[in-house]
Amino acid sequence: MKKILAVGFLTLSTLAAHAEYEQVNLTVFGMDCAPCAHAIHVSMKGIQGVNTVDVDLNTGLVSIKLMPGNSAAMRQFNEAVEKNGFTHKDANVVVRGELSGSAQAPFLDVTGTKDRYALAPLTSGTDISGLLGKTVLIDGMLPQTGKGKVSETLRYKSVTEAQ
Amino acid sequence: MKYLMVLACAVIVTSTAFAADHGPVFSYATPVNSEREFSFDTGIFGRYGSQGTQLSTGSGFGYGVTPHITVNAFLPASFGSGNLPESRIISGSEWSAGASWRFLHSVTSVGKRIESTASLVLVVPGPQQESGLLGSLLRAPGVAGTLATGLASRSQYVWVGAGYTRFAEASNDKRPETLSWSAVYGYRPSRLRRGYDQWDYRGFAELTGEHTGAVLRNGLTVPDSSSTTVWLGPSVLAIFKNIAIEGGVQGPLFRDVSESVYGRERVRFAVNLSYLKYSSHSSH
Repeated sequence: MKKILAVGFLTLSTLAAHAEYEQVNLTVFGMDCAPCAHAIHVSMKGIQGVNTVDVDLNTGLVSIKLMPGNSAAMRQFNEAVEKNGFTHKDANVVVRGELSGSAQAPFLDVTGTKDRYALAPLTSGTDISGLLGKTVLIDGMLPQTGKGKVSETLRYKSVTEAQ
Repeated sequence: MKYLMVLACAVIVTSTAFAADHGPVFSYATPVNSEREFSFDTGIFGRYGSQGTQLSTGSGFGYGVTPHITVNAFLPASFGSGNLPESRIISGSEWSAGASWRFLHSVTSVGKRIESTASLVLVVPGPQQESGLLGSLLRAPGVAGTLATGLASRSQYVWVGAGYTRFAEASNDKRPETLSWSAVYGYRPSRLRRGYDQWDYRGFAELTGEHTGAVLRNGLTVPDSSSTTVWLGPSVLAIFKNIAIEGGVQGPLFRDVSESVYGRERVRFAVNLSYLKYSSHSSH
């Protein structure tokens, strides 16, 4: 019984510390027709943890919602675009992770993945030092990168302590 | 090195010069398959002339090796009895296989791409004999190279392309070398720029031309057997997600063909059905 309780406690602890992308809105250039969008849809749905994918051909916006507890990495979303011959631009993400580093140089570790971002505010005046060491929910933007690369910086709009 | 190996492997197998998938139906265009995308095309292509109608049907297969390299094969079957000049725009009975390489790919904005694609194809005689003058020749394999460049966008498409096919000699017989070219303009009206879960339509105006060299038979050039023709006509492409249906018809704008050697070709038409199977494979 003690062992079961211990395992249950450990599992719950892991889940509590688990962090992930909740939503990724990716701008994609080069999609001109329905099969282009369908190809992106199929590729994104092939990423484990993706719940819904919506593609708007006229704006190039690919909106991805993910299931809780997923371990999808940003690299996979970019690769899904690249393998179809298109180009990814900026991505707006809602991501859960652990805030580390210092007030001057904060980092977000997206546990469950190897994704780690240096954080920079989109607008000045935001103090996040009180959240260091805590699990946070960040709404931010990943700037465009070259093929095969993921931005090292996440420019945040808002940072809140995760419930 | 990887590209060279893919091209080499593809040439060993075969290749195609006919335009299908989800581009124009007669003309050369630049789209290639996505990585791991499998495409299947089937259609019917016809040439109607004063000395009979030549029809061909066939199946084309494509596979995206990388986002910019596709290997493909086309296996047609022909029927009918038309006596018509060689054509690489409308397939005959030759089997072909090869590779297409999109060597230029510039994405400029949402929905817009400028790109160039080159193809190299091995053409081999199929099991069926052609009709007319070309049917009287012993056939040998050939090689076809094509180059297409253009722009694709949500509203407009423009592609120009050219191809050259050269056959080997078979016991003093030789099919004519063929130079083909095309220019196509496509338009999708604003009210049809809809979501991808609805039917996607676009129309094309396709201009194609071909010059075929002289036929060599028993070591002698057949007099007046070279030809030059230019064709123009509309085509329509309809796509729903991963299924595309397209059809088009062309009439002659210019014909320099000896009617003592070939029939007078009046109409070309094509209907093509494509199925595209995209890969959901994701790295971890």
